[in-house]
Amino acid sequence: MTATTVIAAELEPRLARIRSVNRRILAAAWGMWSFKIGFFVFIALLLASAIYPEVSSVSATKMVVKDKFLAPVYLGDKWTWDHLLGTDQLGRDILMRSLIGLRYSLLVGVVTVVLIFVIGCGLGLFAGFKGKWWDTIIMRITDAQLSIPMIILAITILGVSRPTVPTIIIVLALSGWPLYARVARSAAVAERGKEYVRGLRVLGAGDWRILLLFTAPNILPPIAFVAVLDVARMMIFEAILGFLGLGIQPPTPSFGSIIADSRKYLLNAWWIGTIPGIFLAVALTSINLMGSALEKARNRIYGGL
Amino acid sequence: MLILEFLVKRIAQGLLIVVITSLIIFTLLRVVPGDPVRLIVGGMAPPDVVEKVATKMGLRDPIIVQYGRYMRGLIQGDLGQSYLRPRSGMIAAGGQYVDPTKSDMALVTDLILERLPFTLQLGGMALLFALLISFPVGIAGGLHQHGWQNALAFGTQSLFVSIPNFWLAIVLILFLSIKLKLLPALGYQGFSYVILPALVLAVEIAPFIIRTLTTSLGEVMQAPFIDEARVRGLSRRRIVYSHALRNAAVPLVNLLGIQLSTLIGGVLVIEYIFDYPGLGNLTVVSVVGRDFPVIQGIAITTSAVFVFINIIVDLVAYLIDPRVEI
Repeated sequence: MTATTVIAAELEPRLARIRSVNRRILAAAWGMWSFKIGFFVFIALLLASAIYPEVSSVSATKMVVKDKFLAPVYLGDKWTWDHLLGTDQLGRDILMRSLIGLRYSLLVGVVTVVLIFVIGCGLGLFAGFKGKWWDTIIMRITDAQLSIPMIILAITILGVSRPTVPTIIIVLALSGWPLYARVARSAAVAERGKEYVRGLRVLGAGDWRILLLFTAPNILPPIAFVAVLDVARMMIFEAILGFLGLGIQPPTPSFGSIIADSRKYLLNAWWIGTIPGIFLAVALTSINLMGSALEKARNRIYGGL
Repeated sequence: MLILEFLVKRIAQGLLIVVITSLIIFTLLRVVPGDPVRLIVGGMAPPDVVEKVATKMGLRDPIIVQYGRYMRGLIQGDLGQSYLRPRSGMIAAGGQYVDPTKSDMALVTDLILERLPFTLQLGGMALLFALLISFPVGIAGGLHQHGWQNALAFGTQSLFVSIPNFWLAIVLILFLSIKLKLLPALGYQGFSYVILPALVLAVEIAPFIIRTLTTSLGEVMQAPFIDEARVRGLSRRRIVYSHALRNAAVPLVNLLGIQLSTLIGGVLVIEYIFDYPGLGNLTVVSVVGRDFPVIQGIAITTSAVFVFINIIVDLVAYLIDPRVEI
């Protein structure tokens, strides 16, 4: 028997088992009502934000002064069917602005988490697997990065360079990776001593081969399930930056800047700030419901309960 | 002896972390565009004046030289002087020329020490509120894994974590302080001004505590020693409060160490919205004004607080459960 057949023979049942574990987690999550609710609400919001702005003739940025301060349908003295959720201080449609804001929010959230996942887990796996001084250097940098609150870093960078979607994503990713590095590192350290890694070493497999082909598929899926929760966290951060005036710049609507602008009209036109806030909160709740259901399912499967 | 060794090791590591943090912030401030001198001398000043002031302030030296000078001051407890704030407390208005090399600018150390108590008060109250909210919900959820209590804990946690803090702050200001006039909101004139911002922060922290408490208590209640305690005839109250909770507390204490940076970030935004005179508000104003010494001072202070609290957290975790490695 040659070395390759040994690896192949060992690999096949392992791959089958991994797939089944991940499938089992997904199936367990799908069985929970909270995951289903979150999933359908999320899909509905996603489709609405993807399709409605494309087919509707209403503009999110065009100002129509005669239509300003229209209330949502049936909820005020002045409303029309043209603007279901009312208009803001400059006569712009709130539904449309919220949906466009949601688009950017989701874009920033998802891309940032993917970046964080790649950077954080990459560094963490490498540090944990290599050990020795690689480990020390990378983890001390991680600790230092972790001790600077994300917001201070973000406003320091975005406060001076003009905030665009890519810079916002980079800043959020830069400040979000350390936790992932920590988690991936501790998993890699635990994995390093295991039988199959020693076996692969005896067979002459190099560090990278073991790390990328065998260890990573064992460690990463459980972390990825929980990363869903961070999409929501990043969306909140994007909104906070917008609120501080450091997010996506007007006239492009974003939740943070809409809510910040609405403060002046809070008493006379409550809907301008409240409705985008509810949109954001519903989107976040749907993502969090899915995320925590996945986390619960993961803990149940791994905990053997 | 073991604790002493631990303390020495961790404090040494902590110092290293603070040094790296200060280096990161120091370099970042000078690399990203935005010249503080331009803001100090005003937009109308000719470029040669800008250069002259900048050279006088040492801002044109290589970054590493500036950093060395800064660290020498730091060792003597001197964080430098603000570029923008005179000693009298008034902030220099844009364009009004204040010579930052003169000695009448406020010391960064004073600025920070003046505001730190306010921020600690806010953070402490927020933590207290968060514990008051999450303990009943979390314990009930952990004890009844398959009952409505668990669903309640799950729902509360999912809802709270999904509410953006700044939005909640605005809505609460609108209802509680403008419409119902129950609580004051903006500024600071006494203890009652802490309550509303602390509540908003508590809603931000509570879901993490609820989640950890529910999960870890649920796990502990499955452990053999709980069954054994029942066999010994201990009351349920005794089992839960002195056996299960003590064991479930370790992940909770660890969580507080990790979530600290979320808390600090939240404090910053909340202070800005409520115009609360703490460190967070100072940070936002300083970043906008490119007040380098103040930003550096705050970054060093927060990272030192972070390191200190994490050492305490690990020590407390060890004291609660001696099996934890330190």
